Amino acid sequence: MSAADDNGRELTGDDALAADYVLGALDGDDRRAAARRIETDPDFARLVERWEEHMAPLAAGYEPVEPPAAVKAGLDARLFAADGATATSRGAAAPAGGLWQSLAVWRGIAAAAIAGLVLALAVPLLAPPPVDEPAGRLVASLAPQESNVHYFVVYDASTRDIGLSHVTGERDGGRDFELWVIEGDTPPASLGIIPAGSTVHLAVGEALRRKIEAGAVFAISLEPAGGSPTGQPTGPVVAAGDLRAI
Amino acid sequence: MTPHDITKLIVRTAMKDRGAFDLLYRQTSAKLFGVCLRVLRDRAEAEEALQDVYVKIWTKADRFAVSDLSPISWLVAVARNHAIDKLRARRPSGAPIDHAAEIADPKPGPESVAVMTSERRRIDECMDELDDERSAAVRGAYLSGDSYAELATRHGVPLNTMRTWLRRSLLKLRDCLER
Repeated sequence: MSAADDNGRELTGDDALAADYVLGALDGDDRRAAARRIETDPDFARLVERWEEHMAPLAAGYEPVEPPAAVKAGLDARLFAADGATATSRGAAAPAGGLWQSLAVWRGIAAAAIAGLVLALAVPLLAPPPVDEPAGRLVASLAPQESNVHYFVVYDASTRDIGLSHVTGERDGGRDFELWVIEGDTPPASLGIIPAGSTVHLAVGEALRRKIEAGAVFAISLEPAGGSPTGQPTGPVVAAGDLRAI
Repeated sequence: MTPHDITKLIVRTAMKDRGAFDLLYRQTSAKLFGVCLRVLRDRAEAEEALQDVYVKIWTKADRFAVSDLSPISWLVAVARNHAIDKLRARRPSGAPIDHAAEIADPKPGPESVAVMTSERRRIDECMDELDDERSAAVRGAYLSGDSYAELATRHGVPLNTMRTWLRRSLLKLRDCLER
């Protein structure tokens, strides 16, 4: 039996499988197999995404229901308990140094807390209200190129800041990742060495700002420690992606 | 909250901004809890699934940047896919599929009701172009995660017939939604 519609067209092959997956009607084994393909087969993943777009309006049928507050508390515990645990162990270690030292520690923590409070009060006054931000944010996912190096990038035009979120991939010992901006046919221009860390920032100069805002591609190459000696990429490109406005 | 605001919250979440993540949760958790409840039809399971969903959103928010979906559609897709995975992973219990409305009188959450209303009108018009039984099957599969086998049993037709019904219906629906 075919799935031809009134005009004789049919859903077949991967397109039909993608539709089945998004509809949610596949049983367990077929569904798991399709999910694995989404991770490994970009063409199939695109078909799935297209069906997600087509069917998205059906989601209007989901009635919102407020979840109990305990769900968010549990979620925070699952995601951020490690932060709390670190603070506790630091606090627990302090009394070992004697009463006065521990008092000093506590005074230090109190002072830090007050400083934090002052900052928290001041920041909303200094920062533009989030909703009125200029639409000057560009994002890019720098996907692995024959590597496992993946960064997520947000460029903020108002502060000329590039934020990089490290997703996966380690640099080899003694080497550095360097970030490049490539606009049109012009040679790549370096934005600098990417500092180690899960979330890092780079400042952007005037010339590169124009390139970025003109719609450029970002790429990351693997370079000797300290960066490319020639001013152009010398090592393999390990991740790349283009910018899109949000 | 406009879709643009939600987009910003997801992007900031990708940058591990907890304040943005908390606000995103406040703005979207009612909708996503609605998704989990409808698919899993069990409050405790739905609450656990909702936590899993936001753990995924926290860790995979960067993927949204390479998605063409609208922000709410992306969030719903994360929740829906997770809830359906959970549903399929259950031991076959032999329990009857009963769509009794545990969620009889849901209160709308603090989300963009206007956008949802116009989308809902559009999808309702397109669903009206399908015959009743088929549109019920499409809704059952999409909203509740019913499998082809369950739908075939409920509607008293062979499995392949159900598959054909649904695929034809999806083609028609796609055409109508793109008009």
